[in-house]
Amino acid sequence: MVGERPHPLLLWLLRLPFLALAVSVMIPYYWMATNAFKTIPEIIRNPPTWWIHTFTLDNFFNPDTVPGAARRSDEFQGVFQIFANTGFAQFYVNSVVITALTVTISLLLASLVAYVLVKHPFPGSQALFLVLLGSMMIPWEVTIIPNFLTVRDLGWINSYQALLFPGLAKAFAVFFFRQAILAIPDDLVDAARIDGAGELRIWWSIVLPMLRPALAAIAIPVMLGEWNNYLWPLLVINDDAHQTLPLALGKLAGNLTYDPRGAGPMMAASLLVSLPMVIIFLLFQRQFVQGLAAGATKG
Amino acid sequence: MTKSPPTPALPAARPAAPRSAVGVRRFLRQHGTALTLLAPFLLLFAVFTLWPVLRSLYLSFTDYDAISDPKVVGLQNYQTLLGDPRFRKALANTAVYMLGTSLCSTVLGLMLALVFGGQRLFDQIMRACFFLPSVAGGVGLISVFKWLFSSEDFGLINSIRLWLHLDAVRFLGMPKYAVPVLIVLAVWGLMGYNMIMFVAGLRSIPHDIYEAAAIDGATPAQRFWRITLPLLRPVLLFVLVTSMIGAFQEFFSFYFLFSDTSNVGGILDSGLSLVVYLYDLGFRHLQMGMASALAWILFIMLFLLTALNLKLGRINDID
Repeated sequence: MVGERPHPLLLWLLRLPFLALAVSVMIPYYWMATNAFKTIPEIIRNPPTWWIHTFTLDNFFNPDTVPGAARRSDEFQGVFQIFANTGFAQFYVNSVVITALTVTISLLLASLVAYVLVKHPFPGSQALFLVLLGSMMIPWEVTIIPNFLTVRDLGWINSYQALLFPGLAKAFAVFFFRQAILAIPDDLVDAARIDGAGELRIWWSIVLPMLRPALAAIAIPVMLGEWNNYLWPLLVINDDAHQTLPLALGKLAGNLTYDPRGAGPMMAASLLVSLPMVIIFLLFQRQFVQGLAAGATKG
Repeated sequence: MTKSPPTPALPAARPAAPRSAVGVRRFLRQHGTALTLLAPFLLLFAVFTLWPVLRSLYLSFTDYDAISDPKVVGLQNYQTLLGDPRFRKALANTAVYMLGTSLCSTVLGLMLALVFGGQRLFDQIMRACFFLPSVAGGVGLISVFKWLFSSEDFGLINSIRLWLHLDAVRFLGMPKYAVPVLIVLAVWGLMGYNMIMFVAGLRSIPHDIYEAAAIDGATPAQRFWRITLPLLRPVLLFVLVTSMIGAFQEFFSFYFLFSDTSNVGGILDSGLSLVVYLYDLGFRHLQMGMASALAWILFIMLFLLTALNLKLGRINDID
């Protein structure tokens, strides 16, 4: 992009450090993906092995360990056995369901609010918009203590409601959708009104389809934020049944850090937590790049 | 039905007392549906955003253990915090972390955008590599980092050091390495994201400016310092400030690397951030009033950062 270029060889020489940087960025993924399938002695071998010598699934499920029996010191359990009471799959279900519900409901609610504010202004709608806008200035840390108290007083500790409800009203999504809805001509909405369509109908069958790029753009940061949410679940969930994947990973790390036999299950768990996002990223790269760039404007 | 501008409704909203009942009825007839549609969002917003903000402001002036009633103590929480060595340590850690993370990730992001900003397949693959951590990093990868930096002899970095006949370093067990390790981790996650911002910014610079400069005989270095950088200033500021704000609010990596069941913040609080300290105060020591005050101090600092950004951005507009 910058006029004439220097000699190709020189260009590659200049690129070399950045290629090295790219390799070091990918090493944690490689390390995670290979170590999840290595045996424990191989993981803790020094110097480390760069490929898998003995392929094993024991880090996920170790058939040698007998459930309920006292463990010998040289035995270790796979990720799916460590949480025998609930099962690791339960955390997957929890994370997927909570993330999906949060993305869907918060986007629908926010787009509805943005539609009404833009296409059906009423006395006070401007003030309401300013309040929503102002609330974006307040960092979430400010609300975390009162929200914990509210959830506790509602008796929602250890419940899915606690994970879901506090994150549903997203002001930055309203702001984002408002910009997109301003571009929709009033005539289109008025024509639908003349044809007798109600507000809900217009929003659902006219506005939402036109908002598709905006919906995709905002869904991505919301999804990532929810999938990686750690502090809030840490506060409101302390039983096994309602844990999300990040919490389960945290618990594993707490239990296994000083135990070399924990390395395998830890890597397996890390792989299980990050794999869905890697796959979704590879499938929807373009949307991710645009979505995160758009979501950045929330500030 | 005609388009309804907000003005005609205003007289109805402001009548004197006797006519207000009629006004309310007319208001509801005109806007009842709209208000019904807003209701679910507004209820959630009021309960989980608006009310918490007010309640937290009130709690910050009280002594509250989450069990007995809050006692109003005025500004005492704020005074205590400002004199509290742990708060100062957390603030210092967070400030160093914020500066290190934002500067390194901004500079590296810009360099990556300049090197791999093209349209070729190779550039696109490289960008995907660097961008991956901002999508699939964070929570899933942090335990990998814990093992990379592990002081046991199977930690990757120490294995490499031993292989090079260097002594093993206890990265996670020595206070002086805590913040640098966290910065490495944050830059790993952030530089690709910043790179994408810069790629967008670079593409928006009109090509003919460079051609004109080339005709005038400007060297590549001159073109970078005189054209690219000044025209990129809004993006540069945006990236720098959003990186700073994000780093200021970091909880997870500090907590995950340096806290265990008995201790928060690691050795000598070397891994204590402001938000981790907030968590420690509020949810481990049940000093909800003090924690709320800390949250509001955080708000003031972030507000100042944003205001600074807007001010610098405005100077830029005048240019």
